[in-house]
Amino acid sequence: MIECKNINYRYPGAQNPVFNNLSCRVGDPGFHALFGQSGVGKSTFARMIAGQLNGFAGEIAGKGPKKIYYSYNLERLPGWSGVGEHIEKVTPEANKSGISEIIESFGLSSCMDSGFSRLSLGQRNRVNLARYLLQDFDLLIMDESLANVDEATREQIIFKIKAMFPEKSFLYISHSVAEVSRFCRNILVLRDFSKSPQTLTIEGRDNVRGTDVVKKDLEQTMLEIVNAS
Amino acid sequence: MLHKRLYQFVLVYFIGLAFLFTVKGVFNLSDYVIPGISDIYNTARRVFARYFFDVLNTLSVAIVGHILSIAMATVVGIIGRLSNWMGSLIRTAAFNIQAYPIVAVAPMIFILLGDGLSSRLLIAAMICYFPLLLSFIGILSEPVTDIEHFYVHSGRMRWQLEVKIRAFENMNKLITVVAGSATLAMVGTIVSEFIGASAGIGYSIRIALYQSDLSKILVALFLIGIFTSLYLAVLELLGNIVSRRWGKLEVKGERQKA
Repeated sequence: MIECKNINYRYPGAQNPVFNNLSCRVGDPGFHALFGQSGVGKSTFARMIAGQLNGFAGEIAGKGPKKIYYSYNLERLPGWSGVGEHIEKVTPEANKSGISEIIESFGLSSCMDSGFSRLSLGQRNRVNLARYLLQDFDLLIMDESLANVDEATREQIIFKIKAMFPEKSFLYISHSVAEVSRFCRNILVLRDFSKSPQTLTIEGRDNVRGTDVVKKDLEQTMLEIVNAS
Repeated sequence: MLHKRLYQFVLVYFIGLAFLFTVKGVFNLSDYVIPGISDIYNTARRVFARYFFDVLNTLSVAIVGHILSIAMATVVGIIGRLSNWMGSLIRTAAFNIQAYPIVAVAPMIFILLGDGLSSRLLIAAMICYFPLLLSFIGILSEPVTDIEHFYVHSGRMRWQLEVKIRAFENMNKLITVVAGSATLAMVGTIVSEFIGASAGIGYSIRIALYQSDLSKILVALFLIGIFTSLYLAVLELLGNIVSRRWGKLEVKGERQKA
C-alpha cells in the first residue's frame, strides 16, 4: 500500500497549485480507479506515485508494492522491429509463457508481424498495455490505457486482467464514470485543489466475468462519483 | 534523383553563363575579361582531362574529410547529449568554437602541417564538422519520451539504445544534415587548396586566377558542380536505402508526423 500525506505541488510558473494538502492511500491488490475532471492532476499524481515526478512537498511512503509501472496511451514502440518481436524481447523470461494468452485475449494475434505505426490507435494502446502486463510489477498505473478501444473489447480486457492478476494492484485512470463504477473496486476521486479533502474514495461494483451488476447499484455508484467530483 | 541533381546543376550553370554573356554584350567587354563561347570551348578541350583528375582528387579528399567529420560528430554528439557536466562542457565548447571561422585558421594549419594532403583533409573535415556536430547534438539530446518511457521505467535503457531510438526517429533529419554537409566538405577542400595546397582543383583555380583566365575557372566550376551533384545524389541514395531497410515496418511519413 502507498500512503500519500499532505502532498503539495505547483507546476513551475503556475498560479495555482495542483495539489493542496492531498492525502490518500492507493495500491491495495485489485482493480482500482483514479477518477477526476480533466486537468485536475490525475496524471501528475500518477507520475508522483510512480516516482517520475519530484519536487513536491509532503510524503509518499510505500509499504507494499515495490515495482510500480506507469503506462499511458500515447506511448509508442520503436519502429525498427515488429510488434511480436518487440514484445518477445522486452518480456522477462519467467513471463514469456503468458505472452500468447494476453495477446489472444487482447485480440492482437493478427498484429504481431506488423510495425507499430501501421496499427490503429486502439490496437496501439492494447499492444502497449500488453507489454506492461508482461513485466514484473506490483502496481500498474493505466493512464487512459484503453482509450480508442471499443466497449466490448475493453470489457474483455479488464475481465482478463482481473482474472490473470488477482494479487496485483491496478490504478486505472479513465474518464468514463460508467466504466470505473462497474469494474473497479475503489474509485479515488481527485478533486480541484480548492476542495477539501482533495480526494474521496467511492466503493465501486468490482464486476468480474460471469456476474451481473444490479442496475440500481451501478447508478447509485455513478451518482456518488459525479457528486464527489 | 541523380538526373534531377544534374539537371538542376546544369540549368543553374547555364543560366550563370548566360548572365555573363549578357553582361559582356551589354558593356561590350573584351574576351580578356569575359571570354567568348569558342574560347571557353577551346580551353575546355585543352584542360578537361587535367581538371577532371584534379576534381577527382579534390572529391576524394572531401569524401574522406566528410567521413572523418561524421565519425567525430557522432562520437562527440553522443557525449554531448549527456545532461551532466561533460555534456554541458562539450555543448558550450561546440557552440563557441564553431563561431570562429575555420578559413581564418587555415594558414596556421598550412604553416604547421605543410601544403600536403593532411592540411587539406583537416580543413575539409573542420569546415563540415561543426554544422554536423550542432545538428547531431541537437538530435541526440532531444528525448523521444513516448518511446523511451517504457525502457527508462523498466530499467532497460542503455546509452546505445537511447542513441538508436533518437537516431531512428530523426533519420530523415540526419540524412538531410549529412547530405547538406557534403557540399561543405567539398567547399572546405577547395578553399584549403585555394589558400595554400599544391594539388586539387582549388589549386588549379588559384593558378587560373593568377593568369586571369576566366575560361579555365568556368571549366573548373562546371566539373566541380557535376561531381558535387554526383556525390550528393549518391549520399541521398544511400540515405534512402538505410531509411527503407531500417524502417521497413514504418508507415511512410509516420516518423516525421510523430
